[in-house]
Amino acid sequence: MFPTRLLRSSTVNASEIAHFSRLSAEWWNERGEFSFLHKMNPVRMQFIREKLIETAYDEQPEEAVDAKKVRILEGLDVLDVGCGGGLLSESLARLGAWTTGIDASESNVAIAQHHASLDSRVNSNLTYKHAPAESLLSQSKRYDVVCSMEVLEHVDNPVMFLKTCAELLKPSGHLFLSTISRTPLSYFLTIFMAEKVFREVADGTHTYSKYIKPSELLEFFQSYRSQLPSSVNGDGAQGQSRPWITRLYNGEPTRKEAEVRGMIYNPLSASWILAPRGAWGAAECNYLFWVRKPILDDIL
Amino acid sequence: MLLHANGSRLLFKVVRNPSTNGHRRLLSTVHEDYDVVIVGGGPAGLALASALGSKNEFQNTLKIALVEAGDLSVVRDWSPPADTFSNRVVSLTNASQAFLKGTGSWDHIELHRTSPVEEMQVWDGISDARISFSSSEMVSSTTDHLGMARLIETLNLQRGLLRHLNSSPAVQIIDKNKVQSITVDEAPGSWPLVHLNTGQALKTRLLVGADGPNSPVRSFAKIPSYGWSYDTQAIVCTLDHPPKGPFLGPNTTAYQRFLPTGPVAFLPISTTASSLVWSTKPALATALKACEPSVLARMINAAFRLPDVSMQYLHERILEAHEAGKHITDEEISAEILWREQSHLIDSTSAYSSIIPDASPNSRIPPSDAEMVPPLVKSIQPGTVASFPLRYNHTETYVGEGQGSRTVLVGDAAHTIHPLAGQGLNLGLGDVECLSRCISEAVLRGGDIGSYTALLPYTQERYLQNHTIMSACDKLHKIYTTSFGPLVQLRSVGLEVLNELDSIKVAIMMSAGSVSRTDRPLSYNSDARAAMFNIAAQGVENINTVAHVAKVLRGGFEGLAVNVIQNLAKAATHYQQSRKDAS
Repeated sequence: MFPTRLLRSSTVNASEIAHFSRLSAEWWNERGEFSFLHKMNPVRMQFIREKLIETAYDEQPEEAVDAKKVRILEGLDVLDVGCGGGLLSESLARLGAWTTGIDASESNVAIAQHHASLDSRVNSNLTYKHAPAESLLSQSKRYDVVCSMEVLEHVDNPVMFLKTCAELLKPSGHLFLSTISRTPLSYFLTIFMAEKVFREVADGTHTYSKYIKPSELLEFFQSYRSQLPSSVNGDGAQGQSRPWITRLYNGEPTRKEAEVRGMIYNPLSASWILAPRGAWGAAECNYLFWVRKPILDDIL
Repeated sequence: MLLHANGSRLLFKVVRNPSTNGHRRLLSTVHEDYDVVIVGGGPAGLALASALGSKNEFQNTLKIALVEAGDLSVVRDWSPPADTFSNRVVSLTNASQAFLKGTGSWDHIELHRTSPVEEMQVWDGISDARISFSSSEMVSSTTDHLGMARLIETLNLQRGLLRHLNSSPAVQIIDKNKVQSITVDEAPGSWPLVHLNTGQALKTRLLVGADGPNSPVRSFAKIPSYGWSYDTQAIVCTLDHPPKGPFLGPNTTAYQRFLPTGPVAFLPISTTASSLVWSTKPALATALKACEPSVLARMINAAFRLPDVSMQYLHERILEAHEAGKHITDEEISAEILWREQSHLIDSTSAYSSIIPDASPNSRIPPSDAEMVPPLVKSIQPGTVASFPLRYNHTETYVGEGQGSRTVLVGDAAHTIHPLAGQGLNLGLGDVECLSRCISEAVLRGGDIGSYTALLPYTQERYLQNHTIMSACDKLHKIYTTSFGPLVQLRSVGLEVLNELDSIKVAIMMSAGSVSRTDRPLSYNSDARAAMFNIAAQGVENINTVAHVAKVLRGGFEGLAVNVIQNLAKAATHYQQSRKDAS
């Protein structure tokens, strides 16, 4: 049989396309193994959107902020670390961001690229790279927003990973993370129920000891200081900024520095809910984390 | 930034034509990319287009097309004389009106061609058990008076929506174009391609089927549909009648009588005109339609007035004459009706009399039962008599999957319903309101509006709501048209019928709330407390509604049991009596 479909790119051979579209079908099968991620995506995007609008209100006159604007990320450089099949990257690109998705798995990147090529709305401002985050440090490019969703619980050296993400940000840039806390509840829900009982998630996807508590992230950023770029200090001495989180109040960071928000799965409507700020027990399992790099003035 | 997002793309297809065996033909298909393609220019399709087009934030984000086979300029240029009305009149609940007001299309509707419904009179054809309810019973959160519903010609609504769409550059209307076929690439995630008979092809992220009961979009998406046809045809026409007298209220009361052949409804549209929806057996509908308009007018007056025995007799006369190929003359039918009225002892001054009083209505005091029946129909507006079959249909889901993914159904494409509670279009507008809300939410979160994830809340919210109202109406129809002995007996007792009539009230009041649902959040939109509260409240609401409907129906069956026991008791007493007499 002759392929009746147009081959979009002459450099890719047809059997590879077939292979990737089959894999892609799994990443992008909304009822399959990744259905939880698909349902989680609107909540992550809601958090990113609300947080950016909130900071815009803090920094700009009220009338200058258009909270209903669709392309809220227009003109921003956004990096998605551990993009997987590109679930989050495509959404970021649709909101106008110059999006770069990177993943350590070559096949994930190919899947993400293939899927983005199907959608003319995203493929002009969305690029994917097969690269570990560390490799981007050697380049001079820095980002307004760095996202890394459901990745932290899979990396071997979380401290290194967090430092890398932090360093890839421009001053006053936003870091968004989502991960799972290390609590009996999270073990019960994400490993025992999801992997062993319901087998919704492949067995061995998660390792309990790699889970990170929100308090541990807060603690890390309470001591973490950005390195001053050497060009800022005339004498070439390496200065340091203030810590990213200056103080905690009742265990919570201040609103302008960082935020922890729980994500709760509602099995009745099969959807995720973004828990309100400070909701008791909401961040015991899946949670979102936002922290902001100090602006340049604070560094100096 | 998105340079070619809106640009068209030239695609050359190499197709191997099997008939020419090896000879290749080079076909070229020009197709344009859209975000939403709505198939169907009926009220639901137009309402969705205008709801999406009215959002400023979508002006440069969504590219929307509406495809309609017919010529929409007929609707756009529709300008009938002030006193003639189209035969298709629908009742819009306050929720539907609130939605249309929210999108801004309500401003484009000619309000003086519509009529509020302030009161409804519903009664049983056999027992005359009656229930009336008025807008004053409704709980309204606002202080302004809204009425129970508003009757409006479908064309007036469609034209208003089209006028509103003139101000929405984001929506492209492609009329006089039939959808020839819908295809999709085999690769997962591909977008459907809608081929029009003019050769144009539209590739779309989301395909909306607003294309009516025989939806081609539904067959493309292979969404199964479940239902049955009622052995019933609905006759519609526009009725002329004198204005109500000086001691009576305005013509804002809707009347519905449940005859064993089906309900007949009188829907006011102006002071001197009203619309008729008469559901009846197909053979009878054909015979009635074939009658002289004056004969039909007399039959309509009789259908709201004469006892069922006489109606059955008149129906037989009409059927016999039709089968014999003759037509009953106006004199014959009026003589029949007069004779029947006399034998039923209907006073000629009563509102139940078909005699139009000679004196002008202003000069006499109306009879005490004047509000019990609709005004006497004088004539039928020419060319307005039509009929259509009634069906119950509900698809298994509203969102397509697999090869049919990126497809969603709204309105009659997803569900058709018996018109006895006037809810069909309101369910459709409810769908449209919810779907447009879903699309907005997804767009603001950078979601793919054609994805299952983005469309899931739509099915979740609408399916049960639609199903509740649909099955209530279905059950009502069945209770009233059944020939099942105990139910007929039960119905004739009368008191129990009030319970059943009460569930019509439930069906109408359920969606008659005046609060717009447009601002209600989807479950993942708000914070958890609010969402949880909503879920809980909705659950309670649904349980309540279901319980109410169930209670009403069960009430009927309890009544049945009571009735049987009463009859037994009567029989026992009778037996004892006869034994006493014998001894």
